[in-house]
Amino acid sequence: MKTPIKYISTGWLLLALAGILSSSCKKSLDSSLDITPHDRLSGPTVFANTSTADLDLNDIYNQLPDGNNYYDPFDNWTDNSICGYAWPNSRNEAQQANYTPATITFGNQALNLDWANNYGYIRKCNVFIANVTASALPESYKTTRLAEARFLRAYFYHLLWMAYGGLPITASPLDFNKDGNSVFLPRSSSDDTYKFITTELQAIASSLPVTPQPGRVSQGAAYTLLGWVQLYNQDFAASAASNLKVMNSNTYSLFADYGSVFLDNTANSEAIFYRQYIPRVKGNFYGSVNGPTFTKGGVETSWGGVDPTQELVDDYAMDNGLPISNPASGYDPKHPYTHREQRFYESIVYDGSFSYNDTIYTRQGINSANEIDLSDHNDAGQTAYYIRKNINVGIQLGPDNWNGLSGGQNYYYFRYAEVLLNYAEAQNEAAGPDATVYAAINQVRSRVKLPNLTAGLSQTDMRTAIRRERRVELAFEDKRWFDLMRWKMGNNLNNPIHGVAIKSDGAGGFTYTPVVPPGGNHKFDVSKNYLFPIPQYAIDQNSKLKQNPGY
Amino acid sequence: MIFLLLNMICFGAFAQTKLNGSIIDEKGQPMPGVSVTLKGTQNGVSSDVNGKFSIGIPDGKGTLVFRFIGYAEQEVAINGQTQLQVQMKNTSKELEDVVVVGYGVQKRSSVTAAVSTIKGSDIATQPVANITSALGGRAAGILATQGSGEPGRDGSNIQIRGISTTGNTQPLVIVDGVPRNYAQLDPASIESFSILKDAAAVAPYGLGGANGVILITTKKGKSGKPTLSYSTYYGWQNPTVLTKFVNAYQYATLFNAADDNIGAPHAYSANDLALYQNHSDPNGHPDHDVLKELISKNTPMTSNNLQLSGGSENVRYYTGIGYLTQDGFWGPTNYKRYNVTANLEADATKTTKVNVSLNGRVEDSRNPGVSSGNIFYQAFRTPPNQPLTFTNGLPGSYISRSAYGNIYGSGYADSLGYTMLTQLSIEQQLPFIKGLSIKVAASYDYNPFNPKAPNDQTSAINSFGRSYLTPIVYYSYDPTTKAITQAGSDGPGNPTYTESFAQSQAFTYQGYLNYHRSFGKSDVTGLVVLEARNTKSSLFTAGRINYNVPIAELNDGSSNSTDINNSGYSLATKQLSAVYRGTYAYDNKYLFEASGRYDGNYYFAPGHRFGFFPSFAAGWRISEEPFIKNNYTWINNLKMRGSWGESGALAGAPFQYLSSFGLYGNSAVINGQGTQGLTENTQPNPNITWERAKKTDIGIEGTLWNGGLTFEADYFHELRSDMLFAPTVTLPAEYGIGLSQVNSGSMSNQGFELTLGTTHRFSKDLTVGISGNITYAKNKLLQVFETAATYDNPNRRITGRPLNTRFGFQSTGFFTPGDFDASGNLKPGIAIQPWGQVHPGDIQYKDVNGDGKIDNNDIVPIGKPYDPQTVYGLSPSITYKQFDFGILFQGAMGRDFYDQVYPFDNSASATIDNMDYWTPTNLNAANPRITTVPATNNIQTSSFWIRNGDYLRLKTFNLGYTIPTGVMQKLHMHSIRVYLSGQNLVTWSKIKNFDPEVSAQNGQYYPQVKVITVGANVTF
Repeated sequence: MKTPIKYISTGWLLLALAGILSSSCKKSLDSSLDITPHDRLSGPTVFANTSTADLDLNDIYNQLPDGNNYYDPFDNWTDNSICGYAWPNSRNEAQQANYTPATITFGNQALNLDWANNYGYIRKCNVFIANVTASALPESYKTTRLAEARFLRAYFYHLLWMAYGGLPITASPLDFNKDGNSVFLPRSSSDDTYKFITTELQAIASSLPVTPQPGRVSQGAAYTLLGWVQLYNQDFAASAASNLKVMNSNTYSLFADYGSVFLDNTANSEAIFYRQYIPRVKGNFYGSVNGPTFTKGGVETSWGGVDPTQELVDDYAMDNGLPISNPASGYDPKHPYTHREQRFYESIVYDGSFSYNDTIYTRQGINSANEIDLSDHNDAGQTAYYIRKNINVGIQLGPDNWNGLSGGQNYYYFRYAEVLLNYAEAQNEAAGPDATVYAAINQVRSRVKLPNLTAGLSQTDMRTAIRRERRVELAFEDKRWFDLMRWKMGNNLNNPIHGVAIKSDGAGGFTYTPVVPPGGNHKFDVSKNYLFPIPQYAIDQNSKLKQNPGY
Repeated sequence: MIFLLLNMICFGAFAQTKLNGSIIDEKGQPMPGVSVTLKGTQNGVSSDVNGKFSIGIPDGKGTLVFRFIGYAEQEVAINGQTQLQVQMKNTSKELEDVVVVGYGVQKRSSVTAAVSTIKGSDIATQPVANITSALGGRAAGILATQGSGEPGRDGSNIQIRGISTTGNTQPLVIVDGVPRNYAQLDPASIESFSILKDAAAVAPYGLGGANGVILITTKKGKSGKPTLSYSTYYGWQNPTVLTKFVNAYQYATLFNAADDNIGAPHAYSANDLALYQNHSDPNGHPDHDVLKELISKNTPMTSNNLQLSGGSENVRYYTGIGYLTQDGFWGPTNYKRYNVTANLEADATKTTKVNVSLNGRVEDSRNPGVSSGNIFYQAFRTPPNQPLTFTNGLPGSYISRSAYGNIYGSGYADSLGYTMLTQLSIEQQLPFIKGLSIKVAASYDYNPFNPKAPNDQTSAINSFGRSYLTPIVYYSYDPTTKAITQAGSDGPGNPTYTESFAQSQAFTYQGYLNYHRSFGKSDVTGLVVLEARNTKSSLFTAGRINYNVPIAELNDGSSNSTDINNSGYSLATKQLSAVYRGTYAYDNKYLFEASGRYDGNYYFAPGHRFGFFPSFAAGWRISEEPFIKNNYTWINNLKMRGSWGESGALAGAPFQYLSSFGLYGNSAVINGQGTQGLTENTQPNPNITWERAKKTDIGIEGTLWNGGLTFEADYFHELRSDMLFAPTVTLPAEYGIGLSQVNSGSMSNQGFELTLGTTHRFSKDLTVGISGNITYAKNKLLQVFETAATYDNPNRRITGRPLNTRFGFQSTGFFTPGDFDASGNLKPGIAIQPWGQVHPGDIQYKDVNGDGKIDNNDIVPIGKPYDPQTVYGLSPSITYKQFDFGILFQGAMGRDFYDQVYPFDNSASATIDNMDYWTPTNLNAANPRITTVPATNNIQTSSFWIRNGDYLRLKTFNLGYTIPTGVMQKLHMHSIRVYLSGQNLVTWSKIKNFDPEVSAQNGQYYPQVKVITVGANVTF
C-alpha cells in the first residue's frame, strides 16, 4: 500500500500549529494576556506615598455614622419621638422590642450599630494601621494619621460595646490564610473591652492636633470620647477628669445661638467631633425626610420622620426655668405653648407654629393635611408635633432635598454642650453637686436664657436636673437611647408615648388631650434589652461568640 | 425533487415540434432568464420576462435541460409534449441540508452533535424589535423569557437546555463567526440560526461554550439576476396584561375597613365616600384609573425593509436596509432603528474567495427622564383618589411624587447606539495538498458599551446619550379656594443635563486551516483555527446642572464649578485560542468526530490562564445499513448519535487573583472639601479559574415516509463544576471583609428534548403541517456553599434541590376566632408566631418541628423555581390556494409564581383582588385581614402566596395571501404577499395581575406588549 504521504504532511502541519501552543511558549502566551486593570490599585502602591494612603483614611472617615442621612433616626427608638410612617425599623422592631438574634438590624438608624458593618470598619482601621506602620512614610505623617485611625477604631468599638457589651477585639487585620482558626475570636469581657478602648484613647490623645483640619479627629475629640466612655462605664471620677481636659483646653465654647448650631457647616467653636456635608455634592436630606410633612397647600415636602412625643414636649421648661410640673411655673394647659423655654421654640414645630414658610396646623377638624394621623393613614405626624431642630427651613422645599441631598449642616458626634453636661453628671456622681457642677450646667442654661439652677440642690435633685437638661439640650442628637440604657431607665420605654389631640372647645379656645397614636405602645424587657442580641449570623459564623443573656 | 405540473396534451408526432412552456419558481412566480437547452445539442433559448419560452424540437423527442444560477439543474423528458410548465427549485433547499456549526458547516446527514436550526425567514415578519424575543418555542432547547416590553429594552433572557449554573446562564452568541450582540440585527438579513447544545457542538468555543452557543449567519448573495424585494408592516401595540386597581370609592371603603381592624378612626367620612361615588368633586375627590390614564392604546410599531441581492458567477452580493419604529405606551417614549447590511463575495481566482461584509445599525431611542420602572412604581403606588391630574390637565402628586409628571414633566433621556460590524475574509485552496485550504478572517466591530452589563441583551445600549432632567413640577388643589397652584417639585432641584459617550472596539483575528478529502469509503475532515480577540472599551460622561436658559447643551449650563462634573474610564479584555476538529466517516454510515479548544483568558492569574476543552462524538446512520435500506423503504433517514465533552464558562469578575484597593469618589468631606476614598477589595484568590461543564448527549433523529414524519429526540446530562462561590470556609462576621470567590460549587442538569414534525399535502391546493418541540430540564445543586443552619435541616437544605427552589413557611390558612381566648390571646397549644400580635384572619403557619413556636426552623420548600422545567412550542400551518396560515403556541410548565401584592404596601394603592380579604363572614378569602400597613405576620414568605406559574401563549399568528401569478404578470412584478400577523395575542395563565413572564413580581416594570400588524412582502 502506498504511503499516504499527504496524511503525514497534513499531520505535521497540525502538529506544528499545536507546537505554537506548547508549554515552551506558555509563559509568553500567558504574558500576552496581561492587562493592568484601571479600576483598582495594588496594596503596596497605596501605602507608598502619603497622598494615596490618605485616600484610604478618607474611606474610614466616610464610614462614620451619617446621622443626617437617615429617615428613621435613633431617637425614634426612645421616648423622644416616633416615626410618622409605619414601615421603618423603629416602629416595627425597636419600640416593640421585637428584635431577636435573627432579626436585629440597624439599617436605618443614625447610629449604625450593625455588628458586621462595624467590624468591617474596624478592619479598615486595622489595615490602615498595619500598612502605615510597616511603610516607609515619614514619621510625622505616621504619628498623626495613626492616631486618627486608632481613634476611629476606638470609636467603632465603643458603638458596639455600648450596644452589645463585651466584644471580640482585634488590633490587626485578621488573615485566615496566615492565621487559620485563630481568626475565630471569643468575646472579651465588657471590662476588658472598656479597658482596650480607654487605653487606646489615652495612648493617642497627645499625638493628635488641637485644631486639625475641619472634619478630622482632634485631641479634644479623643478626650471627649474617653470621658463619654468612662461616664458610660460609671467611672465617674475618671470621666470628670477627661471632660475637664477638654474644658480646660480653652479650645471650645458654646455658640451664642442654640438653634443655629445645628445649621452650621463649619469647624465652629462648639464642634468637637462632627461630620461635614457639601450640599448637593455630598449633602444630606435630614430636613426632607424628618421635617414637617405637609406645607403650602397640603403638599408633602418632607416625610415627617421624627414626631416629638408629648413626654419630651413636657420636659421643656417654662421660660422662667421651672419645669411645667412645678405649680409655680405658670404653665397653662389651655395654652401649653406659651412662655416655654427658648429651646422648645428652636426644637419643636407645634400646632400653629411657622415652619418652611407655612403655618403648620396639626389640630383636628379643620381638614389640615398635617392633622394628627391617628389612623396611620399617611406620613402626617403621629403626635401633632414635628421637629424644627436641625432643619434648615431656608433651603428649597420639597423632595429635591431628598434626591438632591441639598442639606449642608454638620452632624455632631460630640459638641461642647455635651462635654459640659458629661462633666456635670460625672462630677455630681463622683463628688456631689459642687460649684463646678453648677458652673457647667448653668453655662448650658444661660446660653438659652434660662436662670441658673437654684443653689443647694441635693445630689439626687441635681441628678434629676442634669437628666432633664440633657434630654432637652441633646434631643434628636441620637443620645437619648444610650442615656436611658446607662441610667438603667429602660422601664420608661414600657410606658406608651403620647401625642396630643387638639380640638376646638367651641368657645374660641382649644382642648389638648393626650392620645396614644398608632405605634405608641412601647415595650422594653429590663431583664435583657439593656443589651442588644448578638446577631444570629455572627454566632452561626463564629461558635466562640456567646449570646447575651435572655436571648 | 422535481414535479411537473400540467398539460400533457398529445398532438401526435410531427417532424418538427414547437414546444411552448413556462417556468415558475417555488412560489409559483414566473422566472425569466432561465436557460433551456435540448440535451446533447446546441439548441437553446432562455425564458422571457414572463417566464415563457418556446423551443423547436426536431422529432418531438429528447430531454430538455433547465439551468439557472442558484437553482437546481433540471432535466425533463419531452415525450411528445408541446406544452409544459417547469418549477425550478432553489438550491437553498440544498443549503438546508447543510448545518452551520462552530467554525464551519457540516452536512446534516453527517452531524453527530445536537444542533437545532431556525430559518431567518421564520422570524422575519414577526413583529418584534428584538430578535431574542422571537426565538422562544421555535426550537427544542431554547427558553426565552421576555421581562419587559419597553421599546429598546424588550430583549429576552435566553437559556439553552435549562439552567446548569448558579452563575451567568447566557449563551454565547456568534454572528458570522465572531462573538457579537445580535439582538438588534435586522431580522430580514438573517439567513439562519444554529443552536449548539451538546459538548460536541460547543467544544470549539471552549470557555465560552458551557451555556450553549447561538450561531447566526447573515444572508449572502446568490448568483443570478438582481432581486429587489420590499417588506413592510404596521402594528398596534397594547400591554398583554395590566394590573387592575380599585377605584376611589373602593379604595376609601377598603381603607376604612383597614382602619376598623387596627382600631383607628375612619380616614374617609361618609361624605368623602359619596363624593368618590358620584364624581361631583373631581379635583377634591378624584377617581382615576391610573394605569389606563397613563398608558395609550394601540401605539404604533412599523417596519420597512428593502433588499437587493444577486450576482454573476464570480461575484455575489446581498444588501439590505431596514427601518423600524416603535412607540412606547406614552408620548415621550419611542425607538427607531436603522439597519444596513452589505455582503460582497468574489471568487478572485479559481482558488481564492474573498468576502467583505458590513453590518451596521443605528438605534435612536427617547425616554422620559424617569425610568419606566420608577414610572410604574409611582403608577402602582398612586391610589385612585389622589390627583393624578387635575381637571385643567395639570399634574398632581402623591407622597411628593407625580406619576403623570414622571412621564411628561421629567425631561428626557435620549440615547443613540452605533454599531458597525465588519469582516474581511480570504479563503485560499492550497494546490499542493488536495483538499487543503486556508482562510484568514479579520473582524473589527465598533459597538456601544454598557459598562454594567456588556453581555446583557435586554438593557438599552448607548453610544451617545443626552439626558436632560428637569424638576418635576406638580400642583395642588385648595378645597376652600378651589385654586390649583404649583405645590412643589420632584426630581432634581435644577435642570440637569448630561452627555455620555461610550464605545467598545473588538478586534478578532482568525486563521483557519481546513482539510477535506475522501479516500474510498472514508471521508476525512480536519480543521484548526487560531483565534485572537481583544476589546477596548471606554466611557466618558460630562454634565452640568442649573440651566437658566431653555437650551440643553453643555455650553449653556451654569458656569459655577460645583455645577460641572465629568467622569470616565476604560477597560480592556484579551483572549487567545486554538480550535480543532477532526471527523472521520466510513461508508457514510459510521461517523466519528473529535473537537475542542485550547483557550486562554486575561481573567485569571498567570499560570492559570489556559484551559483545554475536548469533546468526542460518534454517529451511526442506521438507515444506510442494508437491512434497513432494503427492507424498509419508508425509512428515509435514521441516525443515532452520542457525544461527550467538556466546555467552560467565565464566571464572576476579572482580576479576582489580584490584591487590590478600589478608588471611589465622593468619600468623606474633609476640610470642607469632597475627597476620594480607597477601599480594600476582597482578599484575592490566585487560583481562581473558569467553570467547567461535562456534557453528555444521546440522540436519535429520523425522517420517515418522505417527510411525512420527522423527529429528533435527545437525552442530555450536564455536570457543572468549579462554580464560583464565596469560600466554603465560614469566616467570622468579625473578619470584616470577604474572601474572593473560589471554584467550589457543582450542579447537575439533565433532561430530554423532542422535536416532531409532519407535513401532509392533501391536494395541490391544500397542505397542512404541524411541528412541535418540547424540552424538559431539571437541575440539582450538588455542592453549594450553605450554612449549617440550612444544611443541617433537611427541610431547608438547598443542596440536592433545584436552583432557586422557593423556601418559606407552610401556610395552613387563616387564624379563626376560635383560635383565640376571650382576651384575644392565642389559645394554648397553638404555635406562637413572632411577628407581633395576631388576630383572626391573619395567616397561620405550620409548626413543622412542633416546638410550639414559628421560627426559621419551620421553613420548608414551598415552591418550584421561577424558571420553568418544561418549555414547549407547537406550530400548525395550513396552505390553501393563495392563503397561508401559521401560528406558534409557546408554553411553559413546572414553575411557581410568587403572587404577593399587598394593599397599602408602602402607602401604595390596592388591586381589585385585594378586595377579597378575610372577615368573619368571608372565611375563604384570597387575602388575609386587611390592615392599613401590611401586617408583618402576613408578609412572611409563605406558601400562601404561591401560584402555579404555568402558561401558554399564542405567541405568533400569521395569515397571508399571495396574489396569483396571473395578476402579478400583468403588474410586471414577481410576487406580493399581504398578511395579518400578531405577537403575544392570547395568554392563558393563572397569574391574573401580571404577564407570566413579569420581570419584577411587584409589577413595577414596563409590561410585555401584544402586537397586531398588517404587512406586505413585495418582490419586484
